[in-house]
Amino acid sequence: MQTSGPNRDRSINLSGSFFGLLIWRHLDCSGCFSFSREALLRLDRPKERLFSSPVRLRPARRKHRIRLLFPDESALQYPKPEAFCNSIPTWEMASINIAAKYKISLKEPGIAGVLRMAEERFTFTPHDPRSDPKFDGPFRGVKAHKFSKDGSKQALLNIQLHEGGAYIFDFESFSERNVCRDFVGRVLAKLQSVAPAKVDKAVPNKTAPSVSGEQLSAMEMERRMKLLREDSELQKLHKQFVMTGILTESEFWATRKNLLDDAVHNLTKQRTGFKSSMLADIRPSIDGRSNKVHFNLTAEIIDQIFAEKPAVHRAFLEFVPNKMSAKDFWKKYCEADLLHKTKNVVAAAAEAAEDEELAMFLKRDDILANEVRQKIKRVDPTLDMEADQADDYLHLPGHGILHGGRKDTSDAENELSRRTLSQDLNRHAAVVLEGRTLDVESGDIMAVAEAHVMSKKGSSIETSDKSENQERQEKACRMTELEDLQGPRRLPYASLCIKDPRDYFDSQQANALNSLGDNGVGFTSIDNSLSLEESYTYLIKQISEAKVKGHIDIVEPDVALKVLDGLNNHLSSTKHHIVKNPLVSVLDRLPVAIKDELMDHWTLIQELLRHFWSSYPITTGYLYNKVLRIKEAMAQIYHKLQEIKESVHSDCRHLVFLLVQPMLQALDAAFAQYEADDQKRSAKGAKPNGFFKQG
Amino acid sequence: MPQVRIVAKNFMDMVAALPAMKLDKLYESTFICEAVLRYLPPLAKKYALQMLFIESPVTAKSMEEWVLPEALSKHRVATDRLLQLRVFLEIGDRKKEASYKMNPTFQRSMQKYLVQGGTLPREPMPLSVTNRLPTLEDLEAYANKQWECFLLQLINSSQAERLTNFSTSMIKVFQRGILSSRENEAPRLTENGFQFLLMDTNAQLWYIIREYITSSEDRGVDPTDLISFLLELSFHTLGEAYSMNSLTDVQSKAIKDLADLGLVKLQQGRKESWFIPTKLVTNLSVSLSDSSSRKQGFVMVETNFRIYAYSTLKLHSEILKLFSRIEYQLPNLIVGAITKESLYAAFENGITAEQIISFLKQNAHPRVAERVPAVPENVTDQIRLWETDRNRIEMILSHLYEDFPSKEVFEAASDYARELGGLLWEDSKKMRLIVNGELHQQMRDFLRRPK
Amino acid sequence: MTSVQTKLYSDDASLVVVLIDVNPYFWATAASGVGGGVNHSSATIPFAKFLNSMIAFLNSLTLLNQSNQVVLIATGINSCGYIYDSGTKGSEGSGKVMEVSSEILRRLEEFVDRDKKLGKLQGMAVGSNVSSLVSGSLSLALCYIQRVFRSGAIHPQPRILCLQASPDGPEQYVAIMNAIFSAQRSMVPIDSCVVGMQNSAFLQQASYITGGVYLKPPQLDGLFEYLASVFATDLQSRNFLHLPKPAGVDFRASCFCHKKTIDMGYVCSVCLSIFCKHHKKCSTCGSEFNHVPQNPNSASNLKS
Repeated sequence: MQTSGPNRDRSINLSGSFFGLLIWRHLDCSGCFSFSREALLRLDRPKERLFSSPVRLRPARRKHRIRLLFPDESALQYPKPEAFCNSIPTWEMASINIAAKYKISLKEPGIAGVLRMAEERFTFTPHDPRSDPKFDGPFRGVKAHKFSKDGSKQALLNIQLHEGGAYIFDFESFSERNVCRDFVGRVLAKLQSVAPAKVDKAVPNKTAPSVSGEQLSAMEMERRMKLLREDSELQKLHKQFVMTGILTESEFWATRKNLLDDAVHNLTKQRTGFKSSMLADIRPSIDGRSNKVHFNLTAEIIDQIFAEKPAVHRAFLEFVPNKMSAKDFWKKYCEADLLHKTKNVVAAAAEAAEDEELAMFLKRDDILANEVRQKIKRVDPTLDMEADQADDYLHLPGHGILHGGRKDTSDAENELSRRTLSQDLNRHAAVVLEGRTLDVESGDIMAVAEAHVMSKKGSSIETSDKSENQERQEKACRMTELEDLQGPRRLPYASLCIKDPRDYFDSQQANALNSLGDNGVGFTSIDNSLSLEESYTYLIKQISEAKVKGHIDIVEPDVALKVLDGLNNHLSSTKHHIVKNPLVSVLDRLPVAIKDELMDHWTLIQELLRHFWSSYPITTGYLYNKVLRIKEAMAQIYHKLQEIKESVHSDCRHLVFLLVQPMLQALDAAFAQYEADDQKRSAKGAKPNGFFKQG
Repeated sequence: MPQVRIVAKNFMDMVAALPAMKLDKLYESTFICEAVLRYLPPLAKKYALQMLFIESPVTAKSMEEWVLPEALSKHRVATDRLLQLRVFLEIGDRKKEASYKMNPTFQRSMQKYLVQGGTLPREPMPLSVTNRLPTLEDLEAYANKQWECFLLQLINSSQAERLTNFSTSMIKVFQRGILSSRENEAPRLTENGFQFLLMDTNAQLWYIIREYITSSEDRGVDPTDLISFLLELSFHTLGEAYSMNSLTDVQSKAIKDLADLGLVKLQQGRKESWFIPTKLVTNLSVSLSDSSSRKQGFVMVETNFRIYAYSTLKLHSEILKLFSRIEYQLPNLIVGAITKESLYAAFENGITAEQIISFLKQNAHPRVAERVPAVPENVTDQIRLWETDRNRIEMILSHLYEDFPSKEVFEAASDYARELGGLLWEDSKKMRLIVNGELHQQMRDFLRRPK
Repeated sequence: MTSVQTKLYSDDASLVVVLIDVNPYFWATAASGVGGGVNHSSATIPFAKFLNSMIAFLNSLTLLNQSNQVVLIATGINSCGYIYDSGTKGSEGSGKVMEVSSEILRRLEEFVDRDKKLGKLQGMAVGSNVSSLVSGSLSLALCYIQRVFRSGAIHPQPRILCLQASPDGPEQYVAIMNAIFSAQRSMVPIDSCVVGMQNSAFLQQASYITGGVYLKPPQLDGLFEYLASVFATDLQSRNFLHLPKPAGVDFRASCFCHKKTIDMGYVCSVCLSIFCKHHKKCSTCGSEFNHVPQNPNSASNLKS
């Protein structure tokens, strides 16, 4: 590897999801700026990464030339940004994602987030997942939109609602704002022309769309489809009932609201954590021909850098975008990193002297150092930290971790590189364990940086030194407690007083005896006709008899045989009944086909019964019809079950009977209820519960 | 792992191998029955006990009724054993259903035992005659000394300070499996001999006894008599004196040999002489897996492969020499080291790593015996590693087949050999194959079969 | 090779602690029943025959394995006591079956005498329902087994065999349950063989919980055969065998007020007494319940 001096020409290839916006915002001023059509088309598929195709740009040459490399440069001719914005209408399904701040009034600073506009609705997702105004509104609820003039102080867009109230968004630049403005304008125009009535009726709804009727949003539909796809059993049920018209779509789903809800929750709940690989793994790639060194920074890596190196994070917040652009920042960072990696101490020192920003990256991370100091204070006072001091093998030759192909043994003289291996390892481990508190997918590097600030505020509990000290002392006290100086530790308890234990246990015994089939007959207590004296005398007599007799009559051969036979019979008869898990084994003993069929029927019956019983009491004609339909279906299944019962082979008829019986019973109960209800209704006459019986 | 050919524990196989008549005669003694019963596998013991008072046959099927399906193999082992030893007799039915019935002789003896207990043919002598008997400790010391002396003589006649009264021919018999003596050469321990030395005392004893009994016919003694006498002896009370007068000729001859082995101690009174059973003999009826006869251990192994053996016995140093390099010998301490060379020498002699390790474990000094593991792991691992180093080449007796008449025949033969799992090598071009020698007969049959 | 890896004890070596019921009332009554010509001669067993079967069983246990150990504990109505321990005799006692049995009988006689005197000292009210102190002898057995556990790493596998005749004594419920649980904790199975008229609920639970065998032999004149074929089976062999099991133990509780078996009921939060109806006050411990809950049946009324 060649050491590269500070003056070497270098390109940095930035690629990754939220860099698209970064570039858009910061680089449009610098001339050449372009997007591929594919990249834009991806915009309307939110789950994929935005701008996953690299973007090429060539800013004004500064000290270093930075190129964002594009794989096949020659093939593409790109429209200008304005052209791209104007061309949106040609894509009917297009949607746009733009970073913006949401404001409730004009004066307040606003909440940073991403505004997403699609044909039907617009959504705003703040970068910090915990802040409140995450909302989702249909364009149907929008009355009009206003905007500030180009070149005025702020790039604002005001979306006014029918019901009153408005959303105000503050954009980074006017060009961005204009894209949104145009989009809203078009959508509104379209809505008003197509279905003005609908707009009137529509109730603006900030949360989920109403599920009433069969008019379901595409999203809702999709969610249901997805559920059905994932769960074959559900699909079967759906096919069986909804397709055949026994249940309506909404009835079917009404009992499964929790599934739908869960599906929604799952979307937001789960996040991947940090990778367990070290940051060190962002290795520069070198092409042999030139002296260029490429760093590949992805959103994830940046997120991780922020998490692991709070000083870099702080610097980012300080410098970007006021002092330098994000790209410059990362370039600096990468330079520093490279210097650090290559151990070019002299160069690093020189560079640091020359460039204070660069020096910042090379310095020790003082935030971390502070944290460490805090942590050391909190260490258990009884812990002997010297005990394992000698276990540090890092200074020995032949130990360490491979960094970029070279062994990274720490170098004690070098102050700059002293924050190395073990510290990095520890910090990394801590961050990975802490987990990720925010979405990286939200798209904007600024957003990530800010979200880190928020999460830190939330998580770091500033405990005062005082309480901490006290805690430490308590801990020390607890640890050094001498057992023999302590009084006996006994939980205060009151002993249980029971008036008459006989009362208590008699019942237990009687119960147990009942279960044994003794019925308590025979004699429950010993016949006391004999006196104690007599009894003892008998015992003694018997003992001496035993002595005299010897053991002549231990057992007669024929009796012994009888006993053994009895035991054998008992065993062979019980053997077949004693099974570990009765239900499972009963099922397992059936042929697979019958088993599957029975299980299918069982799920069907369950579903039907659930609907059946939930329709009582019948208060509307609708319910009445539903019950009728369900009853029909149940009757069908009933017949099928009967058929199974009769057709099954005699070997397992008993087992099948055992399984089918409870199903039949459940159905019978439902039929009985139906009959009873029907009779009551006809007896009462025309208007039970205020509805007419139809037919 | 090489096969261990010295298996001393199958003494009962010898009993089982006796002709039925003799076996039934043996079973007239309650002690034999008891000893046999104790040798049975646990399941067989249960079967024997439950049949004890049943005189009519019980079907095999009803016995199987008790057995869980996964333990059927154990059941079979148990019943096979019972049948081998003629504790159960199989009674074939016309309906092909096998039934078992207990051997009436055995049954009678056992019933008698339960009711009256076994009666020895001789009672201990009253103290008035013997006046003082050795204490149990003395007796044990005597037995151990006697036994070690015998062992030393067995492996190295020149080292023994005191020779036992065994005739050289007897010693030769014992040495048969243990030493290989060639002309003009000092006898060398064979592979079996090393293994023998590493076994625990009880196992060694059984081996010697077995040799003693099998060679008895050459001396004109009925092995049945010896077996029953030995088993009977094992039920005598430790430390009591029994009169020599109660013995038959055969027995009194045998008892002298047994005294040489340390099984009994002979004493001469004014008028009478008597013998006192030692622990060695009373432990004979204990199944081999019960080694309550265990002596205190004496070996400590350090992680640096050094061995410290607190022992005054020459025998111990002889044994240690088998697999370690003895460095110092002090009055009560032997210091050695396990080295690669010493172990290779041991492996050369057919001692396995497991044997060495288990020897070290079993004889661990009480101080280290409590620890787990008693022998440091690095030492045991290294011993095993050195052993596997040697076993990189495996010798398999095999046959080469060539000159096949046609490709088809060759392929059929190689397929057949592969099916049997014995194909070691084949060369389809030259139509040659090498097959495990054990399968030669089958291969031959296959090749001769008319196609 | 097994010859080298010898284990200290073979797997079937067991320590069996046998508890015998020496309840004078029961045995005398049972005998008088037989004398009175009650038709089921196989349903009762004279004490002498019971003893002989039991002693033969003990002997056969020591016969099976040299390291088997047998301890006999007598359960009286006033006391319990160790009768015989084969371990103290050394291992040479195998040829002395006669001595063993005569010693057992002698010690048993002494025990009965002592028990009788104790009863007189305490002025036991004659005619009250007298039950044997099973809890006491169970505790003795467990103590003995604990001692064996602590004597060293190598010991035979212990189990307890309870030969019970007289009916359960309800007042011992807690003590017996405690013994059962401590047996369960130390993995000691409790086998029970009931030679009395009634099944024993306590022992049934004991065997169920500890994984032992519960058996009430229907044919008592063949008692030895039951003992030999079922209870002599060592723990190792039990892994391979079906042993007679009762059809099932019903753990449903019965209410204290009407002694009905119930599936659902009210439980006193203080003493865990069970009632089928709501009470104002617990009849067992006297705790007062202040909250009157809704009748569980009312919910179903609302439904229809």
